[in-house]
Amino acid sequence: MADPAYSALRKILLDEITPAVMVLPTPLVEERCQKNGLSFVQMLTPFCVFNNIDVPVRTASDQPYRLQKFKLRMFYASDVRQQNVEVTKERLKQVITDAGNNKDSDLYLDPSPIETIPISSQPDFIPTWFQFFNKELVRSVSFSDHEAFDHPVACLLVVSSNDKDPINKFVELFNMNQLPPLLNDGAMDPKIPKVFVLVHDNQDGSPERATKILAEMRNTFGANDCRLLCINSLQGEALDHEPNPWEFYMPNASPDQHLGRLLNKEDVDELKDFVRDLSSKDIIPNMEQRIRVLNQQVSATRKGFRNQIKNLWWRKGKEDAPENQSVNMYTFSSIESQIRVLGDYAFMLRDYELALSNYRLLSTDYKLDKAWKRYAGVQEMMGLTYFMLNQSKKDAEYCMENAFTTYLRIGTSGKGNATRCGLWWVEMLKASGQYKEAAGVYFRISGEEPLHSAVMLEQASYCYLLAKPIMLRKYGFHLILSGDLYKKCDQIKHAIRAYRNALSVFKGTTWSHIRDHVHFHIGQWYAFLGRFDVAMKHMLEIVACSHQSKPMQELFMKNFFQILQKTGKTYKISRLQLPIVNINSLNIVSEDHRTYGSPAAVSVKESIWQSLEEEMVPSLTNAKTTWLDLQSKLLPNKLKQSNVCVAGEALMVEIAFKNPLQLSIPIYSVTLMCEYSPNEIIPDANNSFVDQSIEDEKTTSDASLFTLSEVDITLTGGETTLAQLSVTPIKEGRLKVTGVSWKLSDSMVGFYAFEPDLIKKRISKGRRKAKQNTNKLEFLVIKSLPRLEGIINNLPSTVYTGNLQRLSLELRNSSEIPVKNLKMKISHPRFLNIGNPEKSDVNFPSCLEKEKTPSQKDADLDTTKKSDTIFHFPEDTIIHKETPFVLPLWFRAATPGNVSLYLTIYYEVEDKSTAMRYRTLRTHHILEVLPSLDVSFNISPCPSRLQEYIVQMDVINKGLKSLKLRQLSSVGSEWQISLIESIQDIIPSGNLASGQSLSCFLKLKNAKTTETATDVWLGRIGNEAVFDTQRAPLVNFHHYEQLHQKTSHKEQEHQSTVDFMLISEMEETETENKPPQIFSHHACHCRQCGNEETDMVAIGRATDYSL
Amino acid sequence: MIVCIAVVGHQNNPLYIQSFTEADDALKLHHIVHCSLDVVDERVNNPKKSGPMINETFLGLLYPTENYKVYGYLTNTKVKFILVTTDLDVRDADVRNFFRRFHSAYLDAVSNPFHVPGKKITSKTFAERVSTIVKSVSFNTAG
Repeated sequence: MADPAYSALRKILLDEITPAVMVLPTPLVEERCQKNGLSFVQMLTPFCVFNNIDVPVRTASDQPYRLQKFKLRMFYASDVRQQNVEVTKERLKQVITDAGNNKDSDLYLDPSPIETIPISSQPDFIPTWFQFFNKELVRSVSFSDHEAFDHPVACLLVVSSNDKDPINKFVELFNMNQLPPLLNDGAMDPKIPKVFVLVHDNQDGSPERATKILAEMRNTFGANDCRLLCINSLQGEALDHEPNPWEFYMPNASPDQHLGRLLNKEDVDELKDFVRDLSSKDIIPNMEQRIRVLNQQVSATRKGFRNQIKNLWWRKGKEDAPENQSVNMYTFSSIESQIRVLGDYAFMLRDYELALSNYRLLSTDYKLDKAWKRYAGVQEMMGLTYFMLNQSKKDAEYCMENAFTTYLRIGTSGKGNATRCGLWWVEMLKASGQYKEAAGVYFRISGEEPLHSAVMLEQASYCYLLAKPIMLRKYGFHLILSGDLYKKCDQIKHAIRAYRNALSVFKGTTWSHIRDHVHFHIGQWYAFLGRFDVAMKHMLEIVACSHQSKPMQELFMKNFFQILQKTGKTYKISRLQLPIVNINSLNIVSEDHRTYGSPAAVSVKESIWQSLEEEMVPSLTNAKTTWLDLQSKLLPNKLKQSNVCVAGEALMVEIAFKNPLQLSIPIYSVTLMCEYSPNEIIPDANNSFVDQSIEDEKTTSDASLFTLSEVDITLTGGETTLAQLSVTPIKEGRLKVTGVSWKLSDSMVGFYAFEPDLIKKRISKGRRKAKQNTNKLEFLVIKSLPRLEGIINNLPSTVYTGNLQRLSLELRNSSEIPVKNLKMKISHPRFLNIGNPEKSDVNFPSCLEKEKTPSQKDADLDTTKKSDTIFHFPEDTIIHKETPFVLPLWFRAATPGNVSLYLTIYYEVEDKSTAMRYRTLRTHHILEVLPSLDVSFNISPCPSRLQEYIVQMDVINKGLKSLKLRQLSSVGSEWQISLIESIQDIIPSGNLASGQSLSCFLKLKNAKTTETATDVWLGRIGNEAVFDTQRAPLVNFHHYEQLHQKTSHKEQEHQSTVDFMLISEMEETETENKPPQIFSHHACHCRQCGNEETDMVAIGRATDYSL
Repeated sequence: MIVCIAVVGHQNNPLYIQSFTEADDALKLHHIVHCSLDVVDERVNNPKKSGPMINETFLGLLYPTENYKVYGYLTNTKVKFILVTTDLDVRDADVRNFFRRFHSAYLDAVSNPFHVPGKKITSKTFAERVSTIVKSVSFNTAG
């Protein structure tokens, strides 16, 4: 337990419970004193405190002791009364408001984190004005009639030497009806000891007149009670007292008021001596005397067995009396009042034992009388006395609690006293380190008056902070409560302080509801005070309020934008949480020598492309051919190790934004942030070795060096949107993608810096190289290169199986530099075939028809012979700017299902000086193939003839549209085929509707002659336009079908087989002009199988569902 | 009537807070629950009066506010359950029973392989089960 001798409460009590002196001056006295900027009382106040007065006192039982510390409280008679409640309220409010304004400076600083706060008994951060406020609260209930320590022990009658007829003035002063109600209504003895003081202003002349008056006074009032006080003796220059004794008591006075400027040293000493004499020669002996007299009286009437019995008997009779006793029931002459005066005097003279015994005595009396206020007052004093005696902590606390609850019980009249009692109780608990309990008492003090409650709750919160163990959450909670109450009373600054302190508790926790609430309100209040910049800091904390309800989010956003608008500043916030950037979604597509025809092509696995390009693209490690040698020189180390992009070509970046809110938020100007540094690479191809250590540090972000795309996105609630951004470098050099930025509004810019270490990046295309490269966001920009763009015209998205179409590949070069040496590879030659580039104006499908005279074979037939299907464009193909190159393509939907076609086109750059000699264009096409005809053949030997077979053909239309059969051919010239029965008999319309099947028999004959009828017309008679199966593209596609279907029949290759091709057509019903769609179905390696079996079956399937 | 039930993780992070009032007092209940953690800490760190209560998960009445009573429960994994009720006349046995049922619901929720320990409980099943328990419990001895 802390020594109460040094505790705050002891200091307070020695300050507050001290003898009061009533002062009655004439107006002239005041006028003289005001020359110093001071009233008479103010002038004396600094000298009323004695640390070493050393007055010998005797207790009632004649025990001598010496008083050392002593204090007098001086009051004007007009102030010796209970204050008006409203006035008190106003004054207290002013105290708080002033305190709020004084705290202005550090209100906008960042609060110190809770951990760094030194946990001492009185930390710095606890506002000092609390003490002042509490003192004011305590004083507001002074001069009550139920307690005696505020009752003046003496009266100073002060008359100026300039007053006319000073003797009469003295008499008048005390006779005037302005005496305090305490004296008039009988609560205290009006026979109060008087001291007559004559004040002489030395500026009014020599003190001769004053001494004359003094002599007169001594004759009239008695020699001992008269004093002369000379002031304003200073001549000439005003004097600045250093240190100024009055300053401490008048904190509101400005320094240029020169308090006490006319008082010279002698005057001050005289004042000091005057008060000291007053105390030691008048007041203390008087009080001592009074104690003696009262004690005798009390002993006579109340002490001893007889008196106690008598008292009990007498009290009992009073029980029938009505509870509402008149105010004046205990006049000064009543024994109860006298005991109280005795107790209080004893307390004030530090005779605590005596005080305590009297309080105890009185306590039971009042309790029996049900005089609750007085009872509470006595209990309160008992508690304090126990405390001052430093014994029985429990008793002290019990008494305080008892007093507190009793005061509260009597209603409004006891409220102020309850507050005072509570404050003292709190100090008592604090003195013994019971902070938690103290906080509880503070909480109980806080009543209905919101402003007082706010202050009390805030004090309670600091108690929780000091409690051991520390109770941070309660600290926070009480601060919030307090802040709310401050706000209610328009004490915004206090509210902010409370909330800001509370913030330290909630910062970094996951109690986001509370944290948001705190930030939001602080933000709003700062905005209210016009401090929008600080407000913004707090509002930014709540933008990502995904856990809040939708109305809350709306409210937050509304306020956020309002405050943002009012700040008039532009904010650039790193990692702004609205929207959230999903860094894992970052995807950068850079095109070096690999270029892409469409975004779909980008997402294709690199290995697919690599396998396609394997034979086309010169390998860097392989130095067999001369131009490959050149290539390895052309791509220096640096180029190989870093990501390369080409000036003028956009670098695509994809990044996902997630809206955490339930509201839809638009974001504007989503754009990349890039840094550019001039390049160290010399574009000269032969001499482009670069030392990596010489890095050019200078980076700029000039708009002329690269252009950025801007996107506006509206994110609906909870949505994640993938933004596609691009940067197009213009000059050679180094380009670094540093981040992404967006605008939430014109003045709120959010950005997200990409940190290379943190990003598990997938730069789709740089994977192989990127492994060695630490910085995947950095790109080497090389000189502008031609870039081919390719489109396949008329490529359908949905086709039926077997559909044969003529398409064209259009290649464009937008660069001035022509490209040459083109090569192409197609992933699925079953689907796509290259036509003859020289025959670009053929008429399809009539070009397929058999010519009357057999001509030489088509040139493009050669392509089929090449096993590995790299198509070399004609030697002289050079694609210039704005002259597109068109290559005919044949398309046949080989198998049903979803099909991905990959095309890669290799080309070389004409310009020798570029760092990159070749590039590839990769295109990816997806199409859906629907099933159509399903054809199967069943070959059995002809029973009658050798070398002849009977073929059963089964056709089912699995498609949705009806098809018209056109012809069936055996491919090659080995087999002659003819119908056994007329097709018209089987299917008169020639149309095979959806779901319909057909079965017919054919005769197959092995003929080694050149002129064999390999085709059978299945269509309408008279319109026989038989297609030549030996011509492109039918033969080409058949070749691939043959290759494809061969795999399943490998082991029976020795057998003679036959390939069938069924050609059908689909009439376009909607558009009359269009030629019919041609379909071809291929059945390869059909053979007769199982000779021994009676039921011989040979099966060839025209469709194969596996690719 | 139970107005709020909360699950607080061992780092005093809220895992689940559900109020059962119509009024918009979520914030207040958050505060009450948050505040009561101080009392839980105090109870746990000062086991002096725990004689027979040793190893007891039920922490009893944490503190009474003006309108509410707050009860606490501590699991072996230092996860706290906080119950806020408006019933002023409550038998400890009833609350104990409630917490036992709530605990088993919580156990089932965190046993879900898709639940990330230490993260908020988002399971709908858990929420439903909790509200069933809350509805079925009446603390009023009169009722």
